[in-house]
Amino acid sequence: MMIHKRFLGILVGLVAVVAAFGQGARSFKISEVVVTNTDGLIDEYGERSGWIEIANTSWGTINIRSCYLTTNRAALNEELSVPERVKLMSLIPKGDSRTNLSAQQRIVFFADGRTNLGTLHTNFKLEEGKPNFIALFDGNGKTLLDSVTVPPLAENQAYARVHDTETDSYTWLVLDEDEVTPGSSNVGQGQVEDKVAEWKEKDPYGVAMSIIAMGVVFVALIALYVFFRLFGYAWSMLSKMSRVRAIRAVREQADKAAVMAKQGMETKGVDMKIYMALIAMALKEYEEDVHDVESNVLTYHTDEHSEWSAKGFTMREWPENLH
Amino acid sequence: MEIFDFIGAKLADFLTYTGFACAEWGNWGMILVGAFFLWLAIKKDFEPLLLIPIGLGIILGNIPFKAVGLEIGLYEDNSVLNFFYSGVKNGWYPPLVFLGIGAMTDFSALIANPKLLLVGAAAQFGIFGAYMIALAMGFEPNQAAGIAIIGGADGPTAIFLSSKLSPNLMGAIAVCAYSYMALVPVIQPPLMRLLTTKKERLIRMKPAREVSQTEKIIFPIVGLLMTAFIVPSGLPLLGMLFFGNLLKESTKTTRLAKTAGSALNDTIVMLLGLTVGCSTQASEFLTWDTIKIFLLGALAFIIATASGVLFVKFFNLFLPKSKKINPLIGNAGVSAVPMAARISQNLGLEYDSKNYLLMHAMGPNVAGVIGSAVAAGVLLGFLS
Repeated sequence: MMIHKRFLGILVGLVAVVAAFGQGARSFKISEVVVTNTDGLIDEYGERSGWIEIANTSWGTINIRSCYLTTNRAALNEELSVPERVKLMSLIPKGDSRTNLSAQQRIVFFADGRTNLGTLHTNFKLEEGKPNFIALFDGNGKTLLDSVTVPPLAENQAYARVHDTETDSYTWLVLDEDEVTPGSSNVGQGQVEDKVAEWKEKDPYGVAMSIIAMGVVFVALIALYVFFRLFGYAWSMLSKMSRVRAIRAVREQADKAAVMAKQGMETKGVDMKIYMALIAMALKEYEEDVHDVESNVLTYHTDEHSEWSAKGFTMREWPENLH
Repeated sequence: MEIFDFIGAKLADFLTYTGFACAEWGNWGMILVGAFFLWLAIKKDFEPLLLIPIGLGIILGNIPFKAVGLEIGLYEDNSVLNFFYSGVKNGWYPPLVFLGIGAMTDFSALIANPKLLLVGAAAQFGIFGAYMIALAMGFEPNQAAGIAIIGGADGPTAIFLSSKLSPNLMGAIAVCAYSYMALVPVIQPPLMRLLTTKKERLIRMKPAREVSQTEKIIFPIVGLLMTAFIVPSGLPLLGMLFFGNLLKESTKTTRLAKTAGSALNDTIVMLLGLTVGCSTQASEFLTWDTIKIFLLGALAFIIATASGVLFVKFFNLFLPKSKKINPLIGNAGVSAVPMAARISQNLGLEYDSKNYLLMHAMGPNVAGVIGSAVAAGVLLGFLS
């Protein structure tokens, strides 16, 4: 039984780790792509090329090392073996701290086909004037984390994943050169997310906030009130029923005892007073539910020290004059 | 002679490092404020557990020094004080305090009479009344929310929310919240007298029913699910509050509950109080904003107390005569536990020497803790 419990514990732990990892990697999203870069971001060597930005959309730190980027649709073919699929992809190498992305951080990979230039360079290039399919795979080479098909773009234009505040969803938009934001969140079309500014503009006197927030506080506490009102009612009904059952059982016992006492007195000469005292005690105990751990009842325990354990008895000499 | 010149030069150099040479009037002013807090705590017995660490922290944070990278200041990376301060800055002290509060709190009064939850909810109007006034005074919505939470009368919640929404005002907000909590016995009774009639003050409430252990165990679990599902942004506070309570009520983790409610809580309260006090450096603290915050804090407490008391009076209109609530327990809806409940008790006894309101007042009092955490979660969700 113990072995089973341990096995179950290990299994649960493993599942939790796998689930956590899966959830982490799935937070990577392709967030911005520039295909023809003639006047924008430069790499570590001062050169310009198309680039792909990937965002960690979670609120925790996740490492993107060992994931794969590709522009080859054949990598989606599930009939291919993992090694065959991986050959069609560009590996994001290990051992570079830049791949460790903190919450909401972004990383840019240069699609220049020159992996010898470092971690941030892919083995493929983006094709100018054509649609470009881009996919991001998990480290197992099988799980597709995200993909997008970038439409043909003009020079220095970007295709970006932008948050639409009205629908609270993400849409892909073509951004002009002056809206391109490599390495930071995509603003695009002036859709700036600033909750504080919105509240200030729409609710300058705080009335809406007060109504909503007080409403939420009341709803939360009313929900608790309703639950415990009903639960308390049900609980007291249950305990009342069990008390009635107990009393009924005691009464039956008492009736039997009374009959036995009567018979005993008549046939065996047993003292009726003893029987009646026992019955009374039994009734009292059951009806008052006397026990030691009851709330709000102070139970007095007598001193349990004996001559063997009491400190006073270990004194060799007793003081003669006590004042 | 060269050696004397050297010694003289070094002594002169040393003198430039001393606090006397670096001090400004603001530092002396804040040191006096710290001393006043210590006097209140030691001499007047006003919340000594909070005001002694905060008072000494104020003194500590206002001892000036030459900023030459000694790594000793609260805001200097790698300093010990900065390390302690991370619990305030990153907001992990308040949930730990809530863990301790949960481990020490008995929710029986609330479970036995759940309608008292509504009194706790009503008192949260102090927060939103202060929010509206703060906006009218020109504060930004995020700053106004950080300040308004003072009305919840809950120091850890105030620190948690202000560290997220208005970190530059956090020192003033924290000191203000704790100062007014210490002043609850001064602020609340006159208001309670003003808003109640003698007849209302004499209302005797029926003793609460006995609560079974099963109900006590279910409360933190259901409480967590119901409140956190409605306001997930309050999860750090609500989660730890109910976790602490479950440790206590499960009866299987008494040792953990005891640690959470005593040693751990005391440690965090010491560090929290000290670093919050330290954060009130004169340059940051002695501003018009601080004065406004103290004014708003007072208003928040007044509105919270009044709304709690008035809500009970309103509630009584719908209750049968035998189930009427004494409005003197309305003040306890602010979450200053257990001070606010003690005030209800004392005031109740003042008018009827046999009217013990403490256990009844504990209901709204602990409901206030939950209510202010929910309110903080709502504000955080909207404004962060």
